[in-house]
Amino acid sequence: MPTLLADLGGAGLGMPSMGDLSLQLNAGAIAPEVAVLLALLISLLVDLAGEKAASRWVPPICYGGLGAALVLLALQWNSPLAPSFFGGFLADNLAVAFRAVVAASTLITLLLSWRYVERSGTPVGEYAAILLAATVGAMILCGSTDLVSIFISLETLSVSSYLLAGYMKRDARSSEAALKYLLVGSAAAAVFLYGASLLYGITGGATDLASIAVALQTSAKPVAALSLVFVLATVAFKIAAVPFHQWTPDVYEGSPTPVVAFLSVGSKAAGFALALRILVGCFESFNEQWKLLFTVLALLSMVLGNVVALAQTSMKRMLAYSSIGQAGFVMIGMVCGTEDGFAAMVLYMASYLFMNLGAFACIILFSLRTGSDRIADYAGLYQKDPLITLGLSLCLLSLGGIPPMLGFFGKIYLFFAGWADHQYLLVVVGLITSVVSIYYYISVIKMMVVKEPQEASDVVKEYPAITWNLAGMPSLRAALVGCVLVTAVGGILSNPLFMWASSTVAGTPILQQAIAASGGGAAALG
Amino acid sequence: MTLTLLLLIPFLGALGLSLWPRTLCEVVARRTAIVLLIIQLLLSLRVIFLFDSTDGGMQLQEGLYWLSSLGLDYRLGIDGLSLPLVLINAVLTLVAAIVSRSISQRPRLYFCLLLVISGAVNGAFLSQNLLLFFLFYELELIPLWLLISVWGGSNRAYAATKFLIFTAVSGMLILGAFLGLAFATGSVDFSLTPVTTLQLSMGGQILLLSALLIGFGIKVPLFPFHTWLPDAHTEASTPVSVLLAGVLLKLGTYGILRFGMGLFPEAWSVLAPGLAIWAAISVLYGSLAAIAQVDMKRMVAYSSVGHMGYVLLAAAAATPVSLLGSVFQMVSHGLISALLFMLVGVVYKATGTRNLDVLRGLLNPERGLPLTGSLMILGVMASAGLPGMAGFISEFLLFRGSIEKFPIATLLSMVGSALTAVYFLLLVNRAFFGRLAVTPVDPNSGPLDIRIPASTLVEQLPSLMLAGSVVFIGLWPTSLASITESATNSMAQLMSTLSIVLPIGVTP
Amino acid sequence: MTINLPTSIPLQAYLVLAALLFCIGVWGLINSRNAVRVLMSIELMLNGVNINLMAFSDYLDGQLIRGQVFTIFVITVAAAEAAVGLAILLSLYRNRETVDMERFNLLRW
Repeated sequence: MPTLLADLGGAGLGMPSMGDLSLQLNAGAIAPEVAVLLALLISLLVDLAGEKAASRWVPPICYGGLGAALVLLALQWNSPLAPSFFGGFLADNLAVAFRAVVAASTLITLLLSWRYVERSGTPVGEYAAILLAATVGAMILCGSTDLVSIFISLETLSVSSYLLAGYMKRDARSSEAALKYLLVGSAAAAVFLYGASLLYGITGGATDLASIAVALQTSAKPVAALSLVFVLATVAFKIAAVPFHQWTPDVYEGSPTPVVAFLSVGSKAAGFALALRILVGCFESFNEQWKLLFTVLALLSMVLGNVVALAQTSMKRMLAYSSIGQAGFVMIGMVCGTEDGFAAMVLYMASYLFMNLGAFACIILFSLRTGSDRIADYAGLYQKDPLITLGLSLCLLSLGGIPPMLGFFGKIYLFFAGWADHQYLLVVVGLITSVVSIYYYISVIKMMVVKEPQEASDVVKEYPAITWNLAGMPSLRAALVGCVLVTAVGGILSNPLFMWASSTVAGTPILQQAIAASGGGAAALG
Repeated sequence: MTLTLLLLIPFLGALGLSLWPRTLCEVVARRTAIVLLIIQLLLSLRVIFLFDSTDGGMQLQEGLYWLSSLGLDYRLGIDGLSLPLVLINAVLTLVAAIVSRSISQRPRLYFCLLLVISGAVNGAFLSQNLLLFFLFYELELIPLWLLISVWGGSNRAYAATKFLIFTAVSGMLILGAFLGLAFATGSVDFSLTPVTTLQLSMGGQILLLSALLIGFGIKVPLFPFHTWLPDAHTEASTPVSVLLAGVLLKLGTYGILRFGMGLFPEAWSVLAPGLAIWAAISVLYGSLAAIAQVDMKRMVAYSSVGHMGYVLLAAAAATPVSLLGSVFQMVSHGLISALLFMLVGVVYKATGTRNLDVLRGLLNPERGLPLTGSLMILGVMASAGLPGMAGFISEFLLFRGSIEKFPIATLLSMVGSALTAVYFLLLVNRAFFGRLAVTPVDPNSGPLDIRIPASTLVEQLPSLMLAGSVVFIGLWPTSLASITESATNSMAQLMSTLSIVLPIGVTP
Repeated sequence: MTINLPTSIPLQAYLVLAALLFCIGVWGLINSRNAVRVLMSIELMLNGVNINLMAFSDYLDGQLIRGQVFTIFVITVAAAEAAVGLAILLSLYRNRETVDMERFNLLRW
């Protein structure tokens, strides 16, 4: 809606008739977001009817909204491309794929959340509404092609994320995480805006990415480079690349765990979509510069994320650093800028969705049963809770890239693409750091599987009897089993996933342009 | 389909065991695993009959397109190099399952992991696609890590982690080399096609080959990358040691032969003299270190370092005879070291120690372990390369084939072979001969008591089987040679034609 | 003689002013110990952006005034952000009874 207003001003010259207007609006492109938005509004209304009605009705409403969004996204797949809202939004395959990842991550996060939220004694309806608002923001961000719509959707996502991070009002740690997230996030948004204002100026008054890309080819280089740095810093903040990662461990540790699950997958996917749109689609004439910067960011992220993760004692903090490292791996695909590189990115994000949320499902379940988050408290868990042990082991092995899990294929594909594009340094560092990552993932598995019953932690010794009949527990179990199954079996059957990833790239004009450009460059070199 | 069955049986067996709804007692789990492994062994034997021993190329090929955008296709095949190793894997996994008697804790997981390892090793030996090989190579990592760290000795956490890190690094080096190799040809191809100087400069070839050699050298293991092996062996239980020494180390030598020599023939012939020296150093280091050990298991482990070094020497020489010898060496080392580890396991179980300073006179027919002792003497003789046993044939072929090309390295390795006799005689002499000590030899070590009476013949059946096959190969080497010869000949031919074709500037 | 006011002040002047405001904001963001002051510093940064956008809009984009529309959005979102920020700060104040950034140290920063 905001973009519409922004561009109505822009379209003022031609003064389209009403028929043209509805055609140019092409509002059907955001039908999935509308479905989520409707679910949000209905959840809020139901919440007014009291806590009891909310906890009864909000979950099915959310499932309905997100399910409808996923179906609508499937229908948009490979549909003819037409910009919506006067160039503010484009439902190309890239947008569809990343929005699907976001919507799926929200769906799984909600399945994981009910019990957690109920136990903390906070309203279910509001929680769902804020999470859905974040989802709408993230989904629109994936398809935004105008600085204004990017800013609005980015802020919708961010402000909702701050609220989610601070949702446990009585927990000082949660509030502290939220405040830190807010301050750093707002500063990042301000930096992005400054970069955007410079772009607006040097391109002579353009806000949509396509015209900015054209204008940038002839504009003043130093100012454009400055705006590139500003924009890139914000993108790096959103995907938590080192050195813009400092907020991640604190926010992950302090926030409610289901929220962290969403932030680590949904929010990050939206960040990567944004990175692709802005850097690949818009700063094409600065290809070498941003690729160099991104190479440095990727190297730092892989090294620092994986090395610091070694020293962590808190599970959530460990996963925070591991997610920084994982983002570094994904950035390899982006630096390549080849067909395989982009496809590998999309593939890895999709597999990351399942393996990371599977791991979070296990952590949430463990902390629901024991109230603990320390890695040492997992000692000897295999005896008391085989499901968590198996699920967490498989997901962590997948994150570490051990065959035959899904993560192995994703990671191999990234390295494959990187090597094909002669990014030897990135691939070699990626290989070395994945050995490091195997080490810290394995040490969690060692805690759970290898420790003898007498070495079990006190928490595990007093482990409660396993029951699934509490409200919200069956959905948690369904999400856990589903994620773990996809992680374990999805790798062997990953052929459709590979097809999906490559047709994502094929159905996205900006990526095709970038591939053609880099292919042409390679041919010129050769 | 036969080769796919070789993978499916262990993997589906493991899946079935893990999904079995009721609690599985140790006996049932073990028996199921044994039955599955017997089927696997019979199937591997069937492959011998399907196999055409006159053909040096890949046979019984089968495949499916899998992930074409990644160049990862499911393609299996077998030749004279991999067939003996597949057989060894079937035999030794079965033996390991049979000797896994006292797995009181978590038997289900234990036998699942055993089956997974067996399947993964089969897969690695049969893969005709580099990435598929890498997948199976990595697949065996976590199960073995678990086998060591759950069912191992007192210091198992350290040993298992060390094993894990070394092997993970080896995997990454191999993956890097494979990626480099696949893209060197211009089009992405992970099939086993040798790379030539036309496609990749000699410097690049040597770089990739070095990564591959270090990667597989960790697995073999070759000095100085061997340090994980003695620790892993000492802490692993007997069946796991059998698997590790008998089967998993062969992945390293197989990789060197198949991928190092087979895919980089030009760079290989450049590096060959250096490799021969490296092999000799590894052999001598392993043998000398073995002499210094007082732990029987560590001694056998270091002997592995020495004996696997021969394979590298033979590969460096790359003559038909030496390559045949290297396959013999892989097979006989697999059988012999498995036998030795099992016997050490029996001694350890009976006496509670493996310390050579403590053990005395175990050959005593009354209260000692006469059968174990006799088998140990036989194993030691085979390992030292006495005629009439598998070790002799392989060492003879190896040295005979290599001495023309690398006389000094071969002579040094022969010294290593002589040292084998030294340390194993020390072992037998100390532990088995002499008076059985009832009172402690070393006042600090506590009284030595034989807790279990001499083991029954049935329990020793696996050892007897292995000893029998060691003698069988020693007396009738043609049985193995007929399978392998055509494959090793064609490999050697590749190398020899190459040295003619190579431009003058490139030949060493 | 007509006085053309808008052009008598060059675009650069606005840009410098905006850059100065932005930098002051950054300085305040880094140096403030009071969380409310940090929020105010962020507002300063956003206002710097707004001046930039307005100036560009007036000088380069007089027809479509995208920059002015953008500014409206920035102001709106900044208000929302400040509201959420103050709410979080309030809840944190209830828990910790302080707004001193140095004392928000439950999580390693």
